[in-house]
Amino acid sequence: MLVNILSFFSFLNRLNEIDNKFCSIILPYRARSDDDAPPIFSFQKLNNSKVPVLNYYRTIDPTKILFYLFREKVYPIENKNLQRIILGVKACDLKALHLLDKALLQSGFIDPAYKQWRDNTLIISSDCDYLHETCSCNLVNGHPYSENGFDLNLSVVDENFLIQIGSERGQEFVELMKKEITVADSTASDLEIVKANRKKVFNQLIEKNIHLTHSENFSDFRKVDLKSWEEASKECIGCGACTNICPTCYCLILNDESTEKEFIKVRSYDSCQWYGYARVAGGGTPRPKMTDRFRNRYLCKFDYMHKNFAEIGCTGCGRCTEACAAKIDFREVVKNISFLAQEVN
Amino acid sequence: MQNPYEVIPAEVYEIIQESPLIRTLRFKPKKPIPFKTGQFIEVGIPGIGEGPFTPSSSHYIADDMDVTIMKTGFLTEYIHKLRVGDVIGIRGPFGSNYPLEKFKGKDVLILGGGCGLAPLRSLFLTMLHDNKDYNSITFLAGAKTPKDCIYKDEVSEWRKYDNVRFIRAVDEVPPGEQWEEDVCLVTKLLQKINMKPDGNPAIVCGPPVMMKFGTLDLLKFGYKEENIYLSMEKKMYCGFGQCRHCVIGGYYACKDGPVFTYAQIKNEEAIWD
Repeated sequence: MLVNILSFFSFLNRLNEIDNKFCSIILPYRARSDDDAPPIFSFQKLNNSKVPVLNYYRTIDPTKILFYLFREKVYPIENKNLQRIILGVKACDLKALHLLDKALLQSGFIDPAYKQWRDNTLIISSDCDYLHETCSCNLVNGHPYSENGFDLNLSVVDENFLIQIGSERGQEFVELMKKEITVADSTASDLEIVKANRKKVFNQLIEKNIHLTHSENFSDFRKVDLKSWEEASKECIGCGACTNICPTCYCLILNDESTEKEFIKVRSYDSCQWYGYARVAGGGTPRPKMTDRFRNRYLCKFDYMHKNFAEIGCTGCGRCTEACAAKIDFREVVKNISFLAQEVN
Repeated sequence: MQNPYEVIPAEVYEIIQESPLIRTLRFKPKKPIPFKTGQFIEVGIPGIGEGPFTPSSSHYIADDMDVTIMKTGFLTEYIHKLRVGDVIGIRGPFGSNYPLEKFKGKDVLILGGGCGLAPLRSLFLTMLHDNKDYNSITFLAGAKTPKDCIYKDEVSEWRKYDNVRFIRAVDEVPPGEQWEEDVCLVTKLLQKINMKPDGNPAIVCGPPVMMKFGTLDLLKFGYKEENIYLSMEKKMYCGFGQCRHCVIGGYYACKDGPVFTYAQIKNEEAIWD
């Protein structure tokens, strides 16, 4: 179905009056107005004085930060029960949420805070119409558009959004919307436009990343000699930006913030790039050198997570490359290491 | 929905100074914590933090537990300052346990050193509860010096069982200390006993270097890789496979372990570090 983009946004702005169950609406806005630089986007609360941008490329922060908070109380758990809508979620981040679901909901335990955010959020994804310099989802079997994992998906067709429904919850939202704004049926030619646009962006992606293509024998990464890893990691300063901004990293530290009245546990992000990460009492650590820790991140993403969840921990969002203080290009490292892994065999 | 971060308060009612650096805390959790021997719990001090420890008491008692803890870092320093009446926070139990059903009818060998005796005491006490189910139990226990030996007051009790051997060794006897038992590395005791490796289990826990050479010796004597059980103590932070600190290759020490067979993990990296 089709809705006019402007009337869709005006509906969002009025949504709180229509149905107050949605406590917050979060969507990407331009985060800087420097005309020369490529734009960057960040998730913000709906603000009717600004124009959101749903169909550009991914936000600077992963959607993870809205479901797995940087700092969050996990015991005792408070019933948040706050319904919210997040729009403009990209395919790479949906893929990451899918992996986080496996890790945090389907691994024999349930992270209670993550589950609450997940249960109470309506996700409206949107196609990428442009590419960030570091975008590389095509290298890890991804696409710049979503085919599942969303409640609703938006693709731009001229002045309209073409809406695809992905869940019952999405259907309910559409029913509510139909009462307020005009919703037209989409035609075969609308679908053709979406298809052609998706293909165009995907082809641009392939062309852009052709020199970064890597092999897929990920379980052989660990066989690559340490010297090559030393070479790859020689610029790394171990700041951990890559892991904190990664949409699939969820390593945590648990702080005890108990009061005299009750026990309180708060989790926040940890990073395997930090020296103290796996250190045990007495000072022993399995990865004392930066190279060991650098290598661990790649093995975790491509080998360990694959073993644990039957999918790799990279969505190709490129944020680690963008965030790297030492300008290490993750894609280059993967390419070089995968090439060496192939040689080992 | 069970919250894996749930904390069960527990009151410390007795503290035993086992050795200069090792103490056993005895505590009663506010609600019972049923566990299987070999599994671990997180012991926390309000406002300070928590760490993984394996109960050293029998798994037949769920409402009165012991943990034996060596002073070796930030948290354990605080644990050693605890007094009778203090309240600690327990999470768990977590992880895999010793497969007792596989040990039944067998000649069971237990090899431990230092504070690694803690989980082994739990296993040992649990087995003593049904000691007739096992053909024999041989417990080889090591310590640096006589005063580092732990569970001193219990040894004579343990030696009363017909099918149980409890053999101790210290690495050295400093001048002025008394010792009438063996003086050697605990792994050397393996040569002294009449071992029956064939199809029998050996359970090892201790400092990494002892576990490594103990395992290699056991293999040399003919124990099978799949019958050597190791307690892999890594940084088990959350306890259920979320925080990833204790990952050993594709395994989690907290969830797939801490009890692993050597066959399971022999090809993983840095297992002894």
